[in-house]
Amino acid sequence: MSVVDSPATRRPSDPGRSRPNRPGHAAPKRRPRGSGRTPWLLALPALLLIAGLLGYPLVRMVVLSFQNMRLRELLSGRTPPWVGFDQYTRVLSDNVFWAVVGRTVAFTFVSVLISVLVGLGIALLMRRVSRGVRLFMVVAMMFVWALPQLVAAQIFRWMTDSDFGVVNYLIDKLPGVDYQNHSWFVNPWQGWSVITTLVVWAGIPFLAITLNAGLTQVPKELLEAATVDGATPWQALRNIILPILKPLIMIVTTLSVIWNFGLFTQAWVLRDGHPEPQFQTLATYSYTQAFGQSRYSLGSAIAVITVLLMLGVMIFYIRQMFRIGEVD
Amino acid sequence: MVAPAASPAAPAPASTVPLKRRRAKSDDGVITVGRSRTGTILANTAGVVFSVLMLFPVYWVLNTAFKPADEVLALEPTFWPTSPTLDNFISAFKAPLFLKDMLNGVIVTLLAVAGALVVGFLGALSIARFSFYGRKAIILVVLVVQLIPFLSLLIPLFLMLQSADLTNSLIGVSITYLVLILPYTVWTLRGFISGIPRELDEAALIDGCTRAQVFWRIILPLTGPGLVATSVYGFIQAWNEFIIINTLNSPDKQNLMAWLLQNQTTRGTAWGPLMAGAIITSIPVVIFFLIIQRNIATGLTAGAVKG
Repeated sequence: MSVVDSPATRRPSDPGRSRPNRPGHAAPKRRPRGSGRTPWLLALPALLLIAGLLGYPLVRMVVLSFQNMRLRELLSGRTPPWVGFDQYTRVLSDNVFWAVVGRTVAFTFVSVLISVLVGLGIALLMRRVSRGVRLFMVVAMMFVWALPQLVAAQIFRWMTDSDFGVVNYLIDKLPGVDYQNHSWFVNPWQGWSVITTLVVWAGIPFLAITLNAGLTQVPKELLEAATVDGATPWQALRNIILPILKPLIMIVTTLSVIWNFGLFTQAWVLRDGHPEPQFQTLATYSYTQAFGQSRYSLGSAIAVITVLLMLGVMIFYIRQMFRIGEVD
Repeated sequence: MVAPAASPAAPAPASTVPLKRRRAKSDDGVITVGRSRTGTILANTAGVVFSVLMLFPVYWVLNTAFKPADEVLALEPTFWPTSPTLDNFISAFKAPLFLKDMLNGVIVTLLAVAGALVVGFLGALSIARFSFYGRKAIILVVLVVQLIPFLSLLIPLFLMLQSADLTNSLIGVSITYLVLILPYTVWTLRGFISGIPRELDEAALIDGCTRAQVFWRIILPLTGPGLVATSVYGFIQAWNEFIIINTLNSPDKQNLMAWLLQNQTTRGTAWGPLMAGAIITSIPVVIFFLIIQRNIATGLTAGAVKG
């Protein structure tokens, strides 16, 4: 959409015209439009709600992180004491916090890497299979995609149950392996592989289907020309498909980073709502500090740090989307 | 895959060539590099194996939900319910608070979606159809707020709603959900509205329509499908949410998702009813999702691919 031409070109034809329908009703509304009050009036309710319930809490969160809000202040309604950077010093000098940060970053890196690679592989596979198989793949992925996160996490909790879980049963069938009553969350590496599997499994449909849609846009002539020129499939992938797909890959990767970095539900549900220290992520850590320990200010400080850590990725995504929003 | 990798360049048997050619042509955009019959068989096998693996957890929850209680907790799990029963579903429905939380969920979701749709549509109209100083700023706000991890705002929101006496109330949660889905609603509807050619507006204006009539007779009807898709997506978001409602409200004021969570923490897990409850909770979402899935994917990555 062009920003410049619309009001300028439309306005002249507008005020002088006589309206056959309900002139008294329409006339007063029409006048302020040109001066630009109407768009603000239209956007006002949305802006007020966003300001009140997203903007203000955001400010409040920052303010809170410089105070010391505990249960006593919550119950009495007194203004919590100001403590300056105390909460931040406390958080940043805590080894537990840094372990949580490292874990969250490592999980995000590994899970996004696997998800995007597998998603891309599946998208390429979808271009190669017969039509019926492709339909089957799409339907299978749609069902997985549609499942609520919480439900998916509950299913995985059930499948990896130490006593009656089907995963233990199947692995136990392998020769020479004893997985009866095996608990998956004693060893953090095993526990995190369950969580990662769940996140990757749930994330593949979005990635594969979106990337597949992107692949349909790769001009066939280019690929045919490459084949004629003797390119191997690998060369075609590296030199034609991936460069064309790059903007889309960037966006889905960014989204995956944002989503996986905020991991909460999966860890929360698989650990029965009480994640052990080795299964805490930044999101669960902030939540437990605030609502489990009533350290609202400390939780806010952690949330502020989380948002700051994410800022670079978010700005990147917004710049991409903003560019698009301006164009159309 | 265990089968030996086929050389991608292996020539296809002559008899299959015409058929394959035709099929390859009818699929637009199919990558034709290195097509071969063995390759296709391998790819198809991989595709089927992948789909089966993806579907296994879905199959497993269905399998569990229809099993009688003793079969659910068998050391040798049965892979097909030998005597399928609806017991688990019945006990889920009879479980305390299940129906109440279901009703709560419906109320909260509908209020949030209706509110977000009205407010969001006006906002979308503003940034899609008007050019004014500050439009870019509004777009930026709408995009930025979508990225704020909502969970991090939960602490101040909790304190705000607490002091406004709106915790443990369906209204407080409804408003919170409304705001949660509002930015997406504005952004998506903006896309739908800008998809309507401006020439239609202008033609109607020239023919003597008022701005209001343009809105009622042209923009609103043409945005219809977009409104449906957006509201369904909002429905899914609000229906699936459980952390906020679980934090703000007591169990009798929560929704089905939170019910599924309670079910796990309070007593030991009754897996059969839990899985049955999970299915009941998922059904509306899955159905709605399948209806509008195209829009979800395009909304998130709009414009990244020209298409």
